[in-house]
Amino acid sequence: MSLQESQLESLESSSLADSAGNQAVAGLSPTKLAIRRFRKDRLSMVSFVVVALYILAALAAPFLVRLGVIDPFTFNNSEKYLDIAQGGIPHGAFGGMSLEHPLGLEPGTGRDVMSRLWYGITFSLTIALSATLIAVAIGTTMGIISGFSGGKTDAVVGRVIDLTLSFPQTLMLLALSGVMIGLLTEKLNVPAGDVANGLYVILVLAIFGWPSVARLIRGQVLSIREREFIDAARLLGASRRRLYFKEVLPNLWAPVLVSFTLTMPAYISAEAALSYLNVGIKPPTPTLGNILKSSISYSSADFAFFFFPAFLIAIIVVSFNLLGDGIRDALDPKADR
Amino acid sequence: MASYKKRALAVVAAASMAVSLAACGGGGSSSNQASDGGTLYYYVFKPYEHMDPQRTYLGVQMSNFTRMNYRALVSFPIATDPKEASTPTADLATDAGTASNGSKTWKFTVKDGVKWEDGKAITCEDFKYGASRVFATDVITGGPSYILSYLDVPAGKDGLPSYKGPYKKTGQAAFDKAITCDGKTITYNFKKPWPDFNLAIAALHMMDPYRQDKDKGDKSNYTVFSNGPYKLEGGVWNKEKGGTFVRNDQYDPKTDDKKIREANPDKIIFQVGNPTETIYDRIIADAGNDKFAVTSQSLPPSYYSQIQGEVADRAVNVESPFVDYLSPNFLQMKDPKVREALKVSTDAESWITAGGGEKAYSPAESVVNPVTVGYEDNPAFSGPQSGDPDAAKKLLKEAGVSTPYPITFTYPSSETADKQAAALKQGWEKAGFKVTLDGLGDTYYDEINKKSNKADVVWAGWGSDWPSAITVTPPLFDGRPNGVTDPKVPTNGSDYGNYNSDAFNKLVDQAQNATSLDDQTKALQEADKVLGQDVAYIPLEITKFNFVHGSKVTDFENTPASAMYPDLGPIGVSK
Repeated sequence: MSLQESQLESLESSSLADSAGNQAVAGLSPTKLAIRRFRKDRLSMVSFVVVALYILAALAAPFLVRLGVIDPFTFNNSEKYLDIAQGGIPHGAFGGMSLEHPLGLEPGTGRDVMSRLWYGITFSLTIALSATLIAVAIGTTMGIISGFSGGKTDAVVGRVIDLTLSFPQTLMLLALSGVMIGLLTEKLNVPAGDVANGLYVILVLAIFGWPSVARLIRGQVLSIREREFIDAARLLGASRRRLYFKEVLPNLWAPVLVSFTLTMPAYISAEAALSYLNVGIKPPTPTLGNILKSSISYSSADFAFFFFPAFLIAIIVVSFNLLGDGIRDALDPKADR
Repeated sequence: MASYKKRALAVVAAASMAVSLAACGGGGSSSNQASDGGTLYYYVFKPYEHMDPQRTYLGVQMSNFTRMNYRALVSFPIATDPKEASTPTADLATDAGTASNGSKTWKFTVKDGVKWEDGKAITCEDFKYGASRVFATDVITGGPSYILSYLDVPAGKDGLPSYKGPYKKTGQAAFDKAITCDGKTITYNFKKPWPDFNLAIAALHMMDPYRQDKDKGDKSNYTVFSNGPYKLEGGVWNKEKGGTFVRNDQYDPKTDDKKIREANPDKIIFQVGNPTETIYDRIIADAGNDKFAVTSQSLPPSYYSQIQGEVADRAVNVESPFVDYLSPNFLQMKDPKVREALKVSTDAESWITAGGGEKAYSPAESVVNPVTVGYEDNPAFSGPQSGDPDAAKKLLKEAGVSTPYPITFTYPSSETADKQAAALKQGWEKAGFKVTLDGLGDTYYDEINKKSNKADVVWAGWGSDWPSAITVTPPLFDGRPNGVTDPKVPTNGSDYGNYNSDAFNKLVDQAQNATSLDDQTKALQEADKVLGQDVAYIPLEITKFNFVHGSKVTDFENTPASAMYPDLGPIGVSK
């Protein structure tokens, strides 16, 4: 990546050279500069397009299911589709790929694999996105409060962060799932089933995810609060709230955006891992995690069936990570890595 | 899909049980000459919960114990013929036992020359002590408890026997009267007739002898003190890893019968903990020690396509003694018409296909396995296997309920079971139900055991404890011993659907007090019909086992006595 950075520097120096020249110079805002840097980076652009495609697919899936264009639930389990004597492996090459079923059929049930994956993206991204939003929102708020107030507040928040980070979260997720989902459905009237199970994963991921965001933000706030404009605002008698959200927050959007794009892929793989441990949205509702789980034992009998969910998860996780890196480079080209 | 086998057990037999060997030339591997010596490897997935004879209740484990280390008064012989395989044969006793007083009194005489692994003789007192441990229900948990209700020990105020086991010794005098020793002759006195008591001894280990000086209560859970041809190296089983069984030098083959155990290998090494997929990857690859390996895990459907060529010669496909069924919850689904609609729309065929097809299951028409003595198809379940959604729709309309009628189906989640549950959901929804699937993890039985459980229908599996339907329908559907009739009891025992019916209970009483097996069988056949009319259960299928063994394993047989798991009685390894 060092190559990339030097490229960025030469880009900057060339724009400096431009301004030194005689041509009319259009002033560029920092945002525009960042976007320009981002667009120059091919890898970032590719990952951006991939992420955008996933999000589009996720948004479209529920409508396509309702319209009957994709059908993740109907069984095609007659002898015509499946080799029942061999444990229900689909007839045909690559897990029964055909025009009708482009990614083949699920062994045993004959459900359409493409439809299930497509619909699964919706659920997986919804969970990861919601958990990330909550974690980043809480993390940012706590980070600002802690960094800005200092003293006792900082100490208390700091210890809470330490405590939360030291909890074995996977274990907690497993151990508490029965009780917590019961609480959600009985005390808070959350509909049982997918909604409650999904909400539980979102909440737990968020509860254990905010501390790392808060730490990052706190560090940034520590340097921002010493700047002159903060002193000025203080002297003018600005309220705490104004200081936090009108003065400090706008200077934080770069780290917030970066932690957002880096937390998201972690949660996508967390959802998959948790499905494997039987926590989260349960079949027959597809998620990338539970599809992958059901395909693992078929890795040798029906490789295509195992390959596609794993491939889709790998692609989205890598894309989000690259996107996060790209955004960080674009916003803060001199940042230490 | 394995936890249910915990309660379920040994078996019996019928013609259909004949082992169907997938392309296996000459019956298992009997083409190879059985030979003494060598080391057999036995791969187990889930850790065993108990090694104590009075606490084991896992069919495969009980059969292995019989063949290796725990002999009983009588045992089932190695045989694939169902009749022969369910005939108790003298083991530590001189004969198969004599019943008198309308089967309320049983007498056995202990053989001369039978010894424990430390060389001391097995005495009548050891048998009596072993039986007494079952009464310590606070310490000796997990095992079968039939003798609590049969043995002639007066009941206390709580309805439980007044004898509280050898640790507390409360009510010892009553127990001493119920089981008496006269030299080498042991006499059991029962409250009610127990015509198939010797079948129970042969199938279960609850009546095994136990040495009082070796008993440390719960601490003895993993201790193996052998009286069979093998003893456990070190004497204590490692729950997470397993153990090695070696020759017991105090065992005298002259006191034993080759029909019960041949004890061919010199060593049997049990390895616990590898997942099923890993076990089969290794056995199919057939390298190194895996050539001498067998497993009690059934081959997962995703591996069926690998059973070709040379591997097919090492594979068997046999019908197991276990039946899977659905229990409608009678506290939730109270309308008989709705239950009837559920039954009629159950798509067992798709369930079977999703679970691996004809290699994995056979269709079932009763919760009683066809191999059980006196089996009859239950007419209530003779409809089409794939269900009849139109008929079900009509029934729901007659019931006057608004559709879609919401129900929750609870089952133990696994990759295969999730697909199977989706198959049922699809069938039920065609008929006008709205189905929520609730796949649970390891806590499955704890959840469906609660009367407060909100599931409308739950999954369960069962196999008979000994070759009689009396160990199937009464323990599963009699509301009285299961605590369904007592509002103070929060759980439902094995009656997962909270079913209770006076008509059924009456027939059970009749069966339990019958002095002949014929009368017993007749009453139980009637009882099954009552269950069918009430839709107390919906049979899904009979589980089939698929096993692959290493290429150097000889005389690999699946017999009714081993609950159709690999029988360690005849097995051997070639060099």
